[in-house]
Amino acid sequence: MVVADTVNTVVIAKGLMIGGGFIGPAIGIGLVGSGYVQAAGRNPSAAGSLLGQALIFVALAELFGLLAFASVFIFAK
Amino acid sequence: MIPRLINLFAASGPTVHIAPGTVWQIGGISITNSILYGWICIIGISAFLIWVARHITVKPKRGVIQYVEVAVSFITDLVESAFDDDKIGRKYVPYFVTLFFFILLNNWLGLLPIVGEGFKSGSLPLLRPFTGDLDGTLALGLVTMLLVYAASIRESGGPVRYFKHFFVGNPLNPIYLLVGILEIFTDLTRVISLSLRLFLNVAIGEILIAVFSYLGHIAAPLTALPFTLLEIAVGALQAYIFTILAVMYLAIAVNGANAHSDDLTEDDLPETIEVTPGEAVSG
Repeated sequence: MVVADTVNTVVIAKGLMIGGGFIGPAIGIGLVGSGYVQAAGRNPSAAGSLLGQALIFVALAELFGLLAFASVFIFAK
Repeated sequence: MIPRLINLFAASGPTVHIAPGTVWQIGGISITNSILYGWICIIGISAFLIWVARHITVKPKRGVIQYVEVAVSFITDLVESAFDDDKIGRKYVPYFVTLFFFILLNNWLGLLPIVGEGFKSGSLPLLRPFTGDLDGTLALGLVTMLLVYAASIRESGGPVRYFKHFFVGNPLNPIYLLVGILEIFTDLTRVISLSLRLFLNVAIGEILIAVFSYLGHIAAPLTALPFTLLEIAVGALQAYIFTILAVMYLAIAVNGANAHSDDLTEDDLPETIEVTPGEAVSG
């Protein structure tokens, strides 16, 4: 029985790229968030100044997820 | 009937443009939709900020002026606190405040409904956010990093001292040499990472809004609204991050070069530091 004559590997590749590309930044942002909450819990008076630094590291990690997402549009066919 | 209706709804997906489109050709130079909106935004932003500067008073007034004042003092404090020496930081405050407002207002003006698919020139949108185009953000990143390199060479006192801050210890040690060379290459990728971050955040925000307004179909304003609100926050956050990273790159180079005299790897430092038990803080 022939299920499919041709398999469009681009779709699989895109799925893997999105999935794999989003795991890393998600873990990274989670680690930054947990670190921020722990630091703010230990020293609540410094929470305001730590938030800015936490957001910087969120943006640094986020870039790689965005790169994966943009690659989906760049590698079209 | 119903399948045909669904087919009609899903006839074609949302139009997604990741690259800018050429709207006009003037003497071999192509005017893209992003640079067109960039010029409009520059005129608008300049007019707005000049108006604010004319109407600023010692006693704060109600209205939009006080928000601009708050943002200016926020960025000023940020720049000054990043440097060991406040006087060096104060010299570069005007550039970073300008950079912050330029990116922030460009991001926000790019969310207006007139930008994107609303007005068309042929099959292309006539207007496109300036920061949603890699050429625009690359120009911003290049100008910023050139200023950062020039300023850090000047502030650290010559190219030799500037390059010395990449090396943590004696450059003749092979490990320190390799780490230093790696640091120099890392420094060169900053132009790309700064510009790609801003471009991708704005462009993907546009795509997100386009996809959700397409999925909403009749209720498009309702489905696109949460993502537009999210993009307002992201636009402000990205402007802040672009500015703070540029400040940090400058501050690291300047502070590192100026603090090189108390390098921890110097030979005349004692190997161990004596601590008497009485000095140890209990608790």
